[in-house]
Amino acid sequence: MSIKAFELCLAVERDLLMGDKARINIECIECCGKNLYIGTNDCFIFHFLLEEKSLANGKQTFSVQRQPHKYLGLKKPVNELKAASALNRLIVLCDNTIMLVNMLSLDLIPSGSKIKGVVTFTVNENPVSGDPFCVEICVISIKKRTIQIYMVYEDKVQIVKELSTPEQPSAVSLDGYFLCLAFTTQYIILNYNTGTSQDLFPYDSEEKKPIVKRVGREEFLLAGPGGLGMFATAAGVSQRAPVHWSENVIGAAVCYPYVLALDDGFVTIHSMLDQQLKQTLSFRDGHILQDFEGKVILATTKEVYMLVPLPLERQIQDLLASQRVEEAIVLAEGARRTIPKDKFQVLHRRILQQSGFILFGQLQFLEAKEYFRKGHLDVRELISLYPLLLPSTSTFTRCHPPLHAFADLNHLTQGDHNKIIKCKQFLISYLNEVRTTDVANGCKEDVDTALLKLYAETGHESLLDLVASENSCVLVDCVPWLEKYHKYFALGLLYHYNRQDDTAIQIWIKIVNRDLQDNTRADLFEYIVDFLSFCSNQELVWKYADWVLQQNEKIGVHIFTRRPVNEDKGVKLNPDVVIKYLHKYPQAIVFYLEHLVLDRNIQKEAFHTHLAVLYLERFLDLYSQKKHSSDELSYVRGKLRTFLQQSSLYRVHFILGKIKDTQLDLECAILYGKLEEHDKAMNILVHQLKDFKAAEDYCIWNSKDRDFSYRQKLFHMLLSTYMDPLLTSSELSVAAVDLLNSHAEVFDATWVLRLVPDNWSMQLLCPFLIEAMRKSMHSTRMSQVALALAHSENLIYKHEKLKCQAEKVMLSEKKGCQLCHNTFNNPEFVWYSNGVPVHTHCAMKRNKNLTDMKHLRDASNHT
Amino acid sequence: MKKPDVKLVILGDVNVGKTSLLHRYTERRFKDTVSTVGGAFFLKQWGPYNISIWDTAGREQFHGLGSMYCRGAAAVVLTYDVTNWQSFAELEDRFLALTDTASADCIFAIVGNKADLTDECASVPHPEAERDACPCPSPVSTTKSHKQVVKEDAVALYKRILKYKMLEEKQCQAAEAMCFETSAKSGYNVDLLFETLFDMVVPGILRKRAEGLSQTVDLMECKGTGPKSSCCY
Repeated sequence: MSIKAFELCLAVERDLLMGDKARINIECIECCGKNLYIGTNDCFIFHFLLEEKSLANGKQTFSVQRQPHKYLGLKKPVNELKAASALNRLIVLCDNTIMLVNMLSLDLIPSGSKIKGVVTFTVNENPVSGDPFCVEICVISIKKRTIQIYMVYEDKVQIVKELSTPEQPSAVSLDGYFLCLAFTTQYIILNYNTGTSQDLFPYDSEEKKPIVKRVGREEFLLAGPGGLGMFATAAGVSQRAPVHWSENVIGAAVCYPYVLALDDGFVTIHSMLDQQLKQTLSFRDGHILQDFEGKVILATTKEVYMLVPLPLERQIQDLLASQRVEEAIVLAEGARRTIPKDKFQVLHRRILQQSGFILFGQLQFLEAKEYFRKGHLDVRELISLYPLLLPSTSTFTRCHPPLHAFADLNHLTQGDHNKIIKCKQFLISYLNEVRTTDVANGCKEDVDTALLKLYAETGHESLLDLVASENSCVLVDCVPWLEKYHKYFALGLLYHYNRQDDTAIQIWIKIVNRDLQDNTRADLFEYIVDFLSFCSNQELVWKYADWVLQQNEKIGVHIFTRRPVNEDKGVKLNPDVVIKYLHKYPQAIVFYLEHLVLDRNIQKEAFHTHLAVLYLERFLDLYSQKKHSSDELSYVRGKLRTFLQQSSLYRVHFILGKIKDTQLDLECAILYGKLEEHDKAMNILVHQLKDFKAAEDYCIWNSKDRDFSYRQKLFHMLLSTYMDPLLTSSELSVAAVDLLNSHAEVFDATWVLRLVPDNWSMQLLCPFLIEAMRKSMHSTRMSQVALALAHSENLIYKHEKLKCQAEKVMLSEKKGCQLCHNTFNNPEFVWYSNGVPVHTHCAMKRNKNLTDMKHLRDASNHT
Repeated sequence: MKKPDVKLVILGDVNVGKTSLLHRYTERRFKDTVSTVGGAFFLKQWGPYNISIWDTAGREQFHGLGSMYCRGAAAVVLTYDVTNWQSFAELEDRFLALTDTASADCIFAIVGNKADLTDECASVPHPEAERDACPCPSPVSTTKSHKQVVKEDAVALYKRILKYKMLEEKQCQAAEAMCFETSAKSGYNVDLLFETLFDMVVPGILRKRAEGLSQTVDLMECKGTGPKSSCCY
C-alpha cells in the first residue's frame, strides 16, 4: 500500500511550446522562483512565468504566462540551463559552450563571458567562498580527463582550478570543495582544494547512465548497481540505507524527505527516512526529472509537469487513515527540523495520540498506551470513548478535529462483547497506572470516577481499595452507579470517605438487615461494630448502639470495649454513662464491666462490686431455673469465685449480705477470708463443707503475696480447727495428719508436737517428722554457712583495713620476737595486725594452741 | 535522526544468514528473510552510545558497495555458514579486502551461523550422530547437515586476518574470543556476539571523542582559559 506524497499537475502544455512539430523536443529545464526556462533541441530558450493557484478543494494548479523566447542561432540543442538569480543571469550550455544571457530579456552577454569545450557543468549550491555576486560552477571539459572550476560573474567568467582525473568523468555534482564524480568504472569523491580523492564504489557508466545528485550538505545520491539509489557522504561513507529503484532509472530528484526517481514507465517515490517505497506514479515518456528549490519538475519531450508535494500534515493523515502508524510517526519526526519547534510539538503529539487510538482500535493496548504516554494524551479523550464513564459534572469535550473516528466503544468494537471487555480491562489498568501521575493532573475527578465505575461494573476487587483510600470520585455521580451494580458496601465506604459516616452506616445496616443485597463482606455486622468502635463521633455510636446490641450483645458491646486506648479526652466515653445505658443488656453490661475491671484494670469499687453482684445474680438466676445446665452453672460459679478471690476492691460486706442465705458456702468462706475472719471461713470449709482440699487451698491463696509467718498462722489455724478437741472425729484426724504430712514445711514443729495427741504413732507422722527434721537440719546448716560466709567477709574487710593502715616495720637483729623474746636471725617473720612482728614458728605454735583451746571449749560446751 | 557514534558491519556470502542474525538480535525472533538488496541499516542504543549496524547484501552484484559500507567501521562481523565450506573460503577470498577501508583499530569477529543445522549443536544428542561420524557427508537425518567448518578453521582464519592487517596477535583480542558459532534460528550465541562487540567498540568511541575534543577549539568555551593573545587589545 502506498500513500500520496506528490500530485502530478500539468504546467506547460504542448501547444505553448512546439505544438505539433514532431522533431522538436524539450532538452532541458530550469526553474528559479517564478521563472521557468525551457531549452529545446532546436536552440530555443522559452521563458514562462509560473503562477501557482490553490483550488477550493485544496488541489493546486499552475498557469503559465509566456514571456519572450530566444533563438540562440546555433542550430544545436540547448543542453543545460542554470539560473543565477543574484546575477540576473541564465547560464546556458549549448554547442559545448557555456554562455550567459540576461534572465529577463534572454539577451546574450557579450564575449569574455564564455567557456568553450564544455561537456557538462554543475553549480555549487554550497560554495566555500561567500561572495554573493558570483556563482561557482564545475565543468567537465572536452579535454580528456579534465575538470575545471570557474567563477561566473555578471559579465565574465574566471577559471579557478583545473584538475586532471585518472578516468574520464561523465557526471558531476558539487558541494563545498567536494566533487562527486562518476567515472567510467566507478564513483569517487574528490576534494578540489586538496586534491585528495576517495573511491566510493564501482559502477559501469558505459552500461548505464550514472546519476550524481546532491541531496544535502556533503551528501550525494548515486545510481548504484542493481537499481540502487546509494547515499554517500563527502567522507565516503553511507549514512542511510540505499533505496531500491528499478534497473533503468534515468533521473532522480530530492524533495525532503523524499527521493524521486524516473524510469521509462513510472516515477517512484521513496522516503529517505525509512527507505521505503511510498508512492508510484505511472508516467510514460518521462524525459527529465529535476528538483528546483523544493519544486519538482517532470517533463516529457513535449510537456512540463509539476510534482506538487502534498502538505506534510495531509500525508501524515493519509498514512494514519490507512493505519500506517510507524511510517506516519517517522515522517512527522523527519520534519522536526523543518517546522518551528512549538508547532512541531503540537503536530507530533497529535500524531502520537492519533496513532495511539489507531492501535487502540486494533486492541494493541500496550503499543497504544506507549503512544498515549508519549503524546501526552488527555486521558479523558480515552475515557470519553466509554459511554457514561465521565462524571456528569465533567467539563470535558473531545478535541477538534477528532483524534479518531470512533463514536464510542460500541462503535469501535461493533458490539463484540469480548472486545468490549478487553477494552475495559485495558482502561482499568491504564487509569490505575496514571491516576497518581501527572497525566491525571487537572482531571482527577474524571479519572477516579471513571475508574470507580469500571471497577463497579466489572466487579473488580480493587473497588474497595479505591473508595477506601484517597480518591477524587464524584460522589453524586458514583452513588447511582454503585447502587446499580449493588456495590452497597463500597458505597458506604465512599460515603465514609466523603465524611458522611451516618449515611454509610445506614447503608451497611440495610445490608445486614437484608433490605439491600450485597455480599461483599460476610462479616459486615462485625465490620460495622468495628467501624463504630473506632468512630470518634459519639453521637453516631449512641445512635446505632441499640441496633448493634440488639443484633448481638457479645459482639455489639465492642463498640464500647474496643475503643482506641488513647482516645482524646473529649470523645472518651464516660464508663458510668455506658453502664447506665447498658442496664437493658444483661450480657453486654457484664462484658463491659469485665472490660473495665479485668482488661483495663480500673481500680474502682463501684465497678468491682457491680461486677460481683452481676456474677452473683447471674448464678442465682441460672440456679433458680429448673433446667439449668450444670456446665454453665459451674462456669458461672467459677467466674464468680475467681473474681471474688482475685479482686479486693468490692464491698465484701455487701456481697456477703447477698450471699449468706444462698448455697454458696465456698464463696462465703472466700468473703470471710477477705475480711480476715479466717476462723469463720475455716469453719465453713472444714465443718460445713468438709472440703479439706478447699481449706488447704484457702490457706495457700489467702497467704499468697504475704510473709511466711502469715501463712504459718493460717496453717496453724487450720490444724487447730481440725484438732478442735470439742469436735474430734476420725475424719478430721486423718485430715490433720494429711495436712501435716503434706505441708510439713509450713508448720512450727515444736508447736505441732505440743498439739499432737500422745497416742499418735511415730509412723503416722513419719513424713512430717522427717520433713521437720530435715528442715531443722537445713536451717542449722544454712545458718552455719551464713555464719562462715559472714566471717570470711569480715576477714576480707580486715585485710583491706590492714592494707590501708599498714606502716613500715623495722626489723633488725636487735629487735626481738614478742612471743619468745629471742632476736630475729632470718628475714621471715609474721606480722600481727597490731603491728607486732613475731617469728613464724612462734606464730604457728600460738595458733595451734589457740585452736586446741577452742576445741576444748567447744567440746565442753557440747557435753 | 540520531547520529551514530560508531559503525559495525556484517559481511559474508549470500545466504549465510546476515539479515537473520541482525533480525534475531533486534526483533528477538527468526523469520524468513528475502535476499537483501544493497544494504540495510539499524541503529542500536547501547548505553549512552548509538551504534549503527549495517547489514550488507551478500550477492555478488552488490559486492562493490562493501568497501563503502566498511569505511570507518569499528567492527566487522565476517559471517559464514558452518555447513558450507565455500561460504567460509569466500570470507578470505572476497570479503577480507573490503575491510581495507575500515578504521585502523577495527575489531574482527568470525561468525559461523546456522549452528542449529549441524549434528553437534542439536539440543538432543542424535543417536545416529555417532555412527555418522565418518567424513562422508551422508547424514541419515534429513534435518541435520554435516558440519563443514569447525571452530579451529575460524580461529586459523582469524590469525591470518591479523597477519593480513599486520597486527600483533598479542595486542589484539584472543582468537578464541572472537570466533563465534551462532544460530539465528534458535538464538544461540546471538546476543553474546553482538553484545561482546558492542562492549569492545565502546573504548574506541571514547578514544575518538577524546581526540575530537583536543582537535576542536570551542570558541564559546575558551574564554578565560589560557593566555590571551595580545593582538586583541
